[in-house]
Amino acid sequence: MRTRSQLAGRAAAVCFAALALSGCGRGDDDATPQAPSRQSSEPSSSSAEPAQPAAPRSSEPAAANATALAPHGALAMDAQMERLAALAGGADADANGVDPIVWRDLYVPEDNGLTPERIALGRKLYFDVRLSADGTVACATCHDVSRGFTDQRMVSEGIGDQLGQRNAPTTLNAALFQTQFLDGRAPSLEEQAKLPITNPIEMGHGGLGDAIAAIADDAEYQQMFEAAYQSAPTEETLAKAIASFERTLIFLDAPFDRYAAGDETAMSEQARRGLTLFNGKARCVSCHMINASNPLGTDNRFHNIGIAARVKNFETLAVQALHALEAAGGDLEAVDRLALETELSELGRFMVTKDRGDIGAFKTSQLRNLAVTAPYMHDGSLTTLWDVMDHYNKGGEANPFLDGGIEPLALTESEISDLVAFMFALTDVRFQDKAEKALADQTARARKQRPFRDTALANREIFPFEARIGMTDASNNGGGE
Amino acid sequence: MTRRWFHKSVETKYYEERDAVFNALPRLDRRSFMHVSAAAAAAAAANGVSFNFHSFTPVSVAKAQDTGAGGFTFAYISDSHLYERTVNDRFVRSLMRAVDDINRLDPKPDFVLYGGDLAQLGAPAELELGSQILKAVQAPVRMMVGEHDWYLDMGEKWRDLFGAPTYSFDHKGVHFVVLNSVIEKDFWTERNMTPEQRMQTVAGLDNGVQSRFEVGAEQRQWLADDLAKISAATPVIVFSHSPLYKYYKPWNFWTDDADEVQAILARFNQVTVIHGHTHQMLTNRIGNIDFHGMLSTAWPWPYAPEGLPSLTVQMSRPNPFDMHDGLGDGRVMVDPAGLVDKLYNLWNRNPVEVTASYLRGDKSAAPAKPNLVSY
Amino acid sequence: MIRTKMTRLALPAALAAAMIASCGRQAAETATAPAETPAETASAEAPPPASTPVEANMTPAPPAEGELVEVLLCDNETKTTAVADGTREGGQAIADELMTQWKRKNPDAGWIDAELAMHQVKPPADNKDVVGKGQGSTYSRITEMDAALWAQETYKLAVEGSTIFHSGDKLGSTIAVSCDMCHPDASNTHPETYPKFQEQLGQVAMLRDMINWCIEHPVRGERLDPDSAEMRALEAYIIAQRQGTPLQYGKR
Repeated sequence: MRTRSQLAGRAAAVCFAALALSGCGRGDDDATPQAPSRQSSEPSSSSAEPAQPAAPRSSEPAAANATALAPHGALAMDAQMERLAALAGGADADANGVDPIVWRDLYVPEDNGLTPERIALGRKLYFDVRLSADGTVACATCHDVSRGFTDQRMVSEGIGDQLGQRNAPTTLNAALFQTQFLDGRAPSLEEQAKLPITNPIEMGHGGLGDAIAAIADDAEYQQMFEAAYQSAPTEETLAKAIASFERTLIFLDAPFDRYAAGDETAMSEQARRGLTLFNGKARCVSCHMINASNPLGTDNRFHNIGIAARVKNFETLAVQALHALEAAGGDLEAVDRLALETELSELGRFMVTKDRGDIGAFKTSQLRNLAVTAPYMHDGSLTTLWDVMDHYNKGGEANPFLDGGIEPLALTESEISDLVAFMFALTDVRFQDKAEKALADQTARARKQRPFRDTALANREIFPFEARIGMTDASNNGGGE
Repeated sequence: MTRRWFHKSVETKYYEERDAVFNALPRLDRRSFMHVSAAAAAAAAANGVSFNFHSFTPVSVAKAQDTGAGGFTFAYISDSHLYERTVNDRFVRSLMRAVDDINRLDPKPDFVLYGGDLAQLGAPAELELGSQILKAVQAPVRMMVGEHDWYLDMGEKWRDLFGAPTYSFDHKGVHFVVLNSVIEKDFWTERNMTPEQRMQTVAGLDNGVQSRFEVGAEQRQWLADDLAKISAATPVIVFSHSPLYKYYKPWNFWTDDADEVQAILARFNQVTVIHGHTHQMLTNRIGNIDFHGMLSTAWPWPYAPEGLPSLTVQMSRPNPFDMHDGLGDGRVMVDPAGLVDKLYNLWNRNPVEVTASYLRGDKSAAPAKPNLVSY
Repeated sequence: MIRTKMTRLALPAALAAAMIASCGRQAAETATAPAETPAETASAEAPPPASTPVEANMTPAPPAEGELVEVLLCDNETKTTAVADGTREGGQAIADELMTQWKRKNPDAGWIDAELAMHQVKPPADNKDVVGKGQGSTYSRITEMDAALWAQETYKLAVEGSTIFHSGDKLGSTIAVSCDMCHPDASNTHPETYPKFQEQLGQVAMLRDMINWCIEHPVRGERLDPDSAEMRALEAYIIAQRQGTPLQYGKR
């Protein structure tokens, strides 16, 4: 309804200043302890030592509700489609909560306007395993409706049970990003849709032509393509259709949005304190900005926050990368393969731009629906939002390309809990059950292990880079020798 | 089907072209190689730089690989403005980052220049903290003094820790001179200032009470004597905190007796001044002297409203939300003829190189202009 | 006579103004040395101390030659004892001694000049062109005194902003950082480009929002109340330094 989205837009803009100063009182962050589920896999490396390069990482399927599983741990395709129907409830393309003028002008391309036919076609394709070489992988395998439209694994599993190097971003709200993929190598949803299909460790077709051939004989497809694009199935229309469907997956109705629209009770006091910290001491808003025109919580830019620095040696990899890219000649698909298959994946955006400032930089992810899209970061190495906060609180991981905006924050435990509460308040209310469970699981896990926490760094008693240059005496205050 | 779909930044294109040149060079036959050398040599000769043709290597090649016989590199860190750890962690952290950068350089620099303003308020604790951090540098460190180090105790602690502020040394055929170019005429006695007040006054860049910087008659005499025995063909590199020319007086981006100092240096074929204090990318050439500014590790400064040398390719305006933007460290590459290329290692940006050939009029060697305004 | 240049206030005039406010015009005429500058009815920098009213009708008899005389300043506290020798130099010495004592007690009285000695602040518009204009009779029209008063008060706020801008302590910095470290003479602040949408602030920002962000992060102090005296002074100074720049709101 236009009214609601208008209201949200206006109110959000007006409310922000007030929100920044709001927050008072105590909150209670003790959830009932529960045994953690096998929601996500154990990282194979601890925070202190870098992992072995290219070691196969164990990855276990989500403990989804017990219905039939498709290959690679996904929920069966028809069960997913049922879930989707229940979630969207007749998704009206206009009623998605984004400012409607911005949506029309910025997010929907001119040559691929949304129509019901295109959406239906895209939906069918999204769940269609024929788009993979061995018929086991569809988009919905790694972007599973029942698992937050991702797979809730550290890294994704494709044909032949091959594991990649990166965490699958969620399809939810993906339409609102300026670029796709964690390194931004696809400028649109349409371009993004093509690449996994031909990636040898994801869906594995030799070329898009093979994928078209796999579905071209289907009469229903022929009819649907005709209705949607007035043509036979082609590579371009395949990608466009999938993109059109993905544009309906806008889930921006979170407690935060209701609070911004005027409902004071929509967010807990703890979450409200978290919002104040988000805009203030914790400095999140510098990269994770949320506003009516850009509701995701991202600046669409690429920053090295030191995640990859824990695993690899950057400088050596950068030199290797230049050589490899020269050989490939900047071919889109070659970059795609390199990103997923080799160690060079850790260099992130650098693989795309060859800018030294982009070494180890990955796209600022969205803050929406975090409750259902664990684990976090480009390699899925952070399991809970407490791990995420610990990482930022200590100033990331010192490396020569660390973004200058990352610095130790000196947040207290209660402030961290406030921020986590706020982040949970950004999950769409349609996922409320899952979100509550996730909160309980993450809380319980965080009570037992906080592998990335370092209070000495966070409180600026010792400094990032200090250990690297061999000055490790924390009490050395320069007052005398 | 492939398509160039990603937007290339100016710097990416620049580096691609550079890479293409380097990749092509090893495949040049000897005649073409000499042709390239000759062209560069001609450009240098046109600017009055004499050299030994047979020992000359093209500047752009000299910096990409080992500099060959006689060439060398040194690194720099400058303008850290340290407070004590408990007062301000940010400046300490960035100096440590710079030290880390230098330690990771390959090949290792011959030495590291510290460009002055190690302390912010000249306090003994600040200078000692800086001294300790610099001990972690894995190369010999040559110190240069800045005004923030000096005006609390007029250099007493500095001399204690680092020795005389004015000195010279020779290295691989180049004569280096280190000056204290931040001498100020006494403004504090008549105002009955305490040492702390004097230091606070000097610490304010835009504080008009302080005097303008100068090298001073005594040091100029020392300089003339020191250089008297050096032949005109010897490359000379001068380290000075303030730029040895007149850029912007209200901010003391200025040396009052710059003309006199330049006159002393005028007879040499190849003089380079490496200076700090300005916290920005800055390039100039006056007569036979190249001038290169050093980056700060503490905070960047905007370009002055007037007086900017026309050769300077400005860095784009630092982003306040990234507290290391516009900062960094860098390297200086000296070729056997004494021609100097300066590399600005800007944090979170592509490095920028300002070459000797650019300073001698080769527009194609100009560093890439950023596509955002600087101010 | 109205001064046309406002870049510096002459020291005696500033102090005279302060004393006038603290003592009352009549007494000040007796206490200050003769000055050629016009009297200005500026408001006081130093808060007026409590003083008993001068009994205007009690004029003491002139002292005898060589007699030791105690001279009291109009604030009824500052005093000095001297020989009344009847010369102009003697009188000047008495006045100087009283002024020195008073200055010591009111060290910030000359704060405007002290600040302007260190940092230049661009003057406000002089409004010469509206002097003598206005409706009604002569006494309803705008006078030179009005224009001078407007300029003086406006300028003072900007100068006050300069003192805060250049002081980490006044800004409340916990890491001893002041604005002028990155913005000497308030350069690179671009107040003429606000309001503009600043994503990292999450809103369309006014100048004061950016000031507060800078105070919170690079300066690491506590955000100012946007309506506080400090914020208003800082805005005044920053805007003053861009006197004459066209407005371009929204420009990056």
